Amino acid sequence: MNVWSIIGATPQYCRRHIADDTTYGCPATGESRGDRTTGHVRVAHKVTFMARKLRTRMAITAGRMASATSRIAGRGEGMVVGGRVMLKLAPDAIADLANGRVAALVSATNGKTSTTRLLANAVEQLGPVVTAATGANMTSGVVTTLASGPPDATAVLEVDEAYLPMVTAATKPRVILLGNLSRDQLDRMNEVAMTARKWRAMLAEHPEVTVVANADDPVVTFAAEQAPRVVWVGGGQVWTADSSVCPECGTLLTRTEHDWNCTGCGRKRPETSWELQWTDGVGTAVSRLGQELDLSGLQLPGRFNASNATLALAVAEQLGLGLEESVRRMCQVQAVSGRYAIVDVGALRIRLLLAKNPAGWTELIDVMPGAPTPVIVSINSNAADGRDPSWLWDVPFEKLRGRTVIATGDRRRDLAVRLLHAQVDHVVIADPYSPHAPLPPEARALEVIDNAATYTAFHELRTRAQREASND
Amino acid sequence: MTESVVRIASIYPTLLGTYGDGGNVLALVHRAVLHGLTTEVVDVAPGEHLPRDADLYVLGGGEDTAQVAAADALRADGGLHQAVNRGAAVLAICAGYQLIGHEFPDATGAASPGVGILDIRTDRLPKRAVGELLAKPDSQAPAAMTDLLTGYENHAGATHLGPDARPLAQVEFGVGNGDGSEGAISGQVLGTYLHGPCLARNPQVADVLLGWVVGENLPTLVEREVEELRAERLDFVRRSGR
Repeated sequence: MNVWSIIGATPQYCRRHIADDTTYGCPATGESRGDRTTGHVRVAHKVTFMARKLRTRMAITAGRMASATSRIAGRGEGMVVGGRVMLKLAPDAIADLANGRVAALVSATNGKTSTTRLLANAVEQLGPVVTAATGANMTSGVVTTLASGPPDATAVLEVDEAYLPMVTAATKPRVILLGNLSRDQLDRMNEVAMTARKWRAMLAEHPEVTVVANADDPVVTFAAEQAPRVVWVGGGQVWTADSSVCPECGTLLTRTEHDWNCTGCGRKRPETSWELQWTDGVGTAVSRLGQELDLSGLQLPGRFNASNATLALAVAEQLGLGLEESVRRMCQVQAVSGRYAIVDVGALRIRLLLAKNPAGWTELIDVMPGAPTPVIVSINSNAADGRDPSWLWDVPFEKLRGRTVIATGDRRRDLAVRLLHAQVDHVVIADPYSPHAPLPPEARALEVIDNAATYTAFHELRTRAQREASND
Repeated sequence: MTESVVRIASIYPTLLGTYGDGGNVLALVHRAVLHGLTTEVVDVAPGEHLPRDADLYVLGGGEDTAQVAAADALRADGGLHQAVNRGAAVLAICAGYQLIGHEFPDATGAASPGVGILDIRTDRLPKRAVGELLAKPDSQAPAAMTDLLTGYENHAGATHLGPDARPLAQVEFGVGNGDGSEGAISGQVLGTYLHGPCLARNPQVADVLLGWVVGENLPTLVEREVEELRAERLDFVRRSGR
């Protein structure tokens, strides 16, 4: 009977249906996929509709039609267009759909999709959870996520940094997780300080919210420090170039490995209740009560993901979740929207690594295996990657010395010049996945080769892998 | 060639380092090694005094507030003026280029005082210049500069040269100073809107700067990766038309 659950005063429904109303198959009764005439699905939807305003209900239907049209047209998941249609028809749909069930909002420049997934997996120990599976994190993605699944499922939502104040006001979350802030693209440099100021103003307006914030990021600290309830987490910060000066007084911050302070205004790293300990590539989250939680079983690699998990655990504690059980569930997360997934592309089996900005690249370099293992690095400069790849010079590619880097992507020649200056051996290959590509033999010999990529290069590889898999 | 050390001061990289500008210092060191020169790099943090004995001072790009802060700190320090008077070389990129002139616009567009070591004034372009920039060295540019200059620009400044400055180049694609010219040179002070970074994509410019320091023209040295990148970027600009 464990697949059935009681929702409010209504009869029993199939939980699988309720958790994901795009899956029309019931594991308990074996009813086939695509059959929407069963009582389970119909009644579940009836409950959904009764709890919501007429306007929202109509908007959901219209949004779903738009999403379906977009999917059929092969334009992706259709979440964004569906959400846009919904918000156009019912501008307050987010507030209506949120209805007190948003456990947490997760925002950061880097890692918000992974952190959200880790946290959502942990929260599932309480029952059904809705969360965006694809990283759709602006208002349209948020509203589509809330409209999916059962009406009282707990929501754990990833939110774009700029949209966080608006989504916070509409959803009234219990907890907000703030991970890190750095520049995404060169032409968006000014936005870091501006975003921090907006977050600060947002938290002043919502004193009821508990904030879980990374104390190692001075910009995040500035944003969160005046909130009445902050759980500070020592999550670490590898990328410091966007927080070199005090966000308030502009003085150059003084830093040691695990601490920072401002000699200008006295601001300093807050005392933390949670800490990530990272030793020899293995993370341990230490809770406010000194409980040590072993993160070595995380399948998402690297210090950065151990930090994401530690922040998520601090939220889990605020939500009253079992911490050991939370860790166990986080360890089940293998890949997030294709990140860290192992896929076949052409003649190679690659582990897909995504980095969207210099901070992300800096973290990612530490995730890759050490020298002399070769790696592939794919650099594009489409709009979503940033048109200007000058940021390559801000990333410490010197750390890749002692191996051969296979440079590819539209801007592989920019990367080659960068690697030349970093004294890293490299080959420049337009299509390293071709069976005839002149790869170094040690790369060909690898069972799985790491492939770090910018945003559009990552999606090209994912699409190519999916296409080739379906052609097999 | 010479036993002496080329001392490079990287000015306020935390404030003026938006466009991978650290790459210019790396490129200088890289070219110096190729030419058999020894280098020493000093990063100067805001609040610290500029070294009085560097041979080459490098300023990068930065956002508006950082630019004003850097200009104020440099005027208070006074070291850059002394450096230029004793014949040191200066490379200034983008915001750094603007701020070594007489005045430049702050975040609100109001004129903010510069360091004044280059006879230029900057106000606002009607529209921000973002994209590839290609320019041909000006007839008055150092003779060793023969190759086209390639880079990326991202600025809102219209820069006007006074009588004591001459253009570095003439724009073939992009905006540059806004009047068809790009960058400026005066003595051994060189300013430009090119980043990418500039010296990695234009090793001749790095060699000119190093040549100023050692007092002789450096021989031509070509690297395959750099030439391939330059060819690709030139081809991209030509295909983009205009």
